[in-house]
Order: sequence, then C-alpha cells, then structure tokens
Amino acid sequence: MLRWGDKFLDIRKISRLGLLTALALIIFIVELRLPDIAPIAGMKLGLANIITVYAVYTYGGAEAALILYARILLGTLMTGNFSALIFSLSGGTLCLIGMILLKKAIDIKHMWLCSVFGAILHNIGQTAAAVAVMRTLAVISYLPFLMISGCIAGAFTGIAAQLIVSRINKYGKK
Amino acid sequence: MKKSRIALAAAAAVFVLSAAICIYMLFFKPKPQYVRITSGGKTLYTLDLTKEKDRLITVEYDGRKNVIEIKDGRIHMLEADCPDHVCIDTGWLDNGLPIVCMPNRLVIEAVGKGSDAAVG
Repeated sequence: MLRWGDKFLDIRKISRLGLLTALALIIFIVELRLPDIAPIAGMKLGLANIITVYAVYTYGGAEAALILYARILLGTLMTGNFSALIFSLSGGTLCLIGMILLKKAIDIKHMWLCSVFGAILHNIGQTAAAVAVMRTLAVISYLPFLMISGCIAGAFTGIAAQLIVSRINKYGKK
Repeated sequence: MKKSRIALAAAAAVFVLSAAICIYMLFFKPKPQYVRITSGGKTLYTLDLTKEKDRLITVEYDGRKNVIEIKDGRIHMLEADCPDHVCIDTGWLDNGLPIVCMPNRLVIEAVGKGSDAAVG
C-alpha cells in the first residue's frame, strides 16, 4: 500500500484510477476528430467530463483531480496543442472545484445538474484565460454562446455519467 | 431534494439569460460603424467603416500573418496562417460578435462612437 497524505491507496484503487484516466484520454482524443459545431474557439462537447463527474461522485475530489490533471497534461502531450493547455487548465480547475463543492448540495440522482454547473464554470474559466491571453475584454462576448452549448453538453455528459453509475450498480461491483 | 431544485432553477436562469444575450447580440445589435483592431492588447487601428475605402490590412504577430479585408463598409478576416481558421469562419463583423484570432492574438471588435481616436 502507498501512503498518500493520511490515506492509503490500495493497488485496486490505483489501477481503477489509471483505467479511468486512460478512458478519459481516449474520449478526449476521439472527440478532437469531431468537426467543430460553430466557429467559436473552445466550443466543444467536453465528453471527457463524463469521467470527471463520475470520479467526483464515486471516488472524491482528490481522485477526480488526479484523473483530470493527468488527462489534461497527457492529452496535451499527445495532441501537441500547447496553446490549448492554459484554457483546459483554467476551465478544468474551476469546473472541478465547483463540482466538488456542489456535490454536497446535489445528490447522486441529480448528477447531471452538477455537470451543467461544471460546464458553466469551465466556460467562465476558459474565457477568463482568454481575456488574460488576448488582453482584451472583447472575448467575453462569446461567453453566452459558450454557456448555452456548455449547459446542453454538460447535461449530456452528466446524464451519461449517471447511466454509467446505474449500470455499474446493476451489473458489477463498485 | 430542495437544494437540487434551487440548483435546477439557477441553471435554468443562466441558460435563459445566456440565450437572451445571444439573441440580442446576433439580431439586435446595430451594424458596427467604428471598429478597433488590436494585437496582443495593443490598439493598431481604430477605423470608421463608413469612411474606409476597400483595402487590405496585413497584421503580423510573432512571425505569423493575418490579412483583414475591408469591403463596402464591412470588415472580415480574409487570410490567417493560424491552424484553426476560426477567425475566417466567423465571417463579416456585422453584429456584436468580435472576430478573434486566438493563436495570433488578433481581435477585431466594434466600438461605440466617441471612443479613443485612431492610433495606427
């Protein structure tokens, strides 16, 4: 067993987290092949968020953070798109913090709602990064458009994560 | 249960508000007369589109190039050597949405009348 803070990580858990990270990476890379919906930078489905929401609810904030940052860093290395890194990091961090906090208020049956807020926060985070990078407030004009697509995509990924939870409860052990 | 109701209402409010702002920006913003072109936060040009002749403006940033076209009092990105071409796909600047080229840090935005004078 590995010590991590005052908790112990067993091998079973490490391999599960590794598996989830691999899944998130595959989803992330496959999603890049999908054509853009609108000519707005940063508008995407964010399917890898399925794994993040799932991890927040079934494992906890720290584990979800490990998966998220491993996915973002490895995904960036694999795609070579380093200019997108700052947007992924700022959006992902805000999204993660928000979902960890909201988990206390929103029970697992309303996971999709938590995912919607995660998506909204992700959009706010990436827009803030864009303002910092471009040094102009003009990019905020795109925030409402990102938020609409974020709400829809967030609900979709949240429902997908909820389906995964119910299937696993039904057919397999957690 | 009650907390998730509040959360649902909040999410719905954000969605409706964003939709309203989007519709306003797409359909109710007047056609821009004054536009500002900025690169990396620095203002390069402030133009009055009604007085501009048809021309091409080339902007370079960090060795990369963007070509902006002004035609019949409208402005758009004609060429960009960035990988995504989002700025070209945005089309003409006819509403409240600025044209943004993220990789080359270039922004073309509408500004209100009486804004700062031409720098370029």
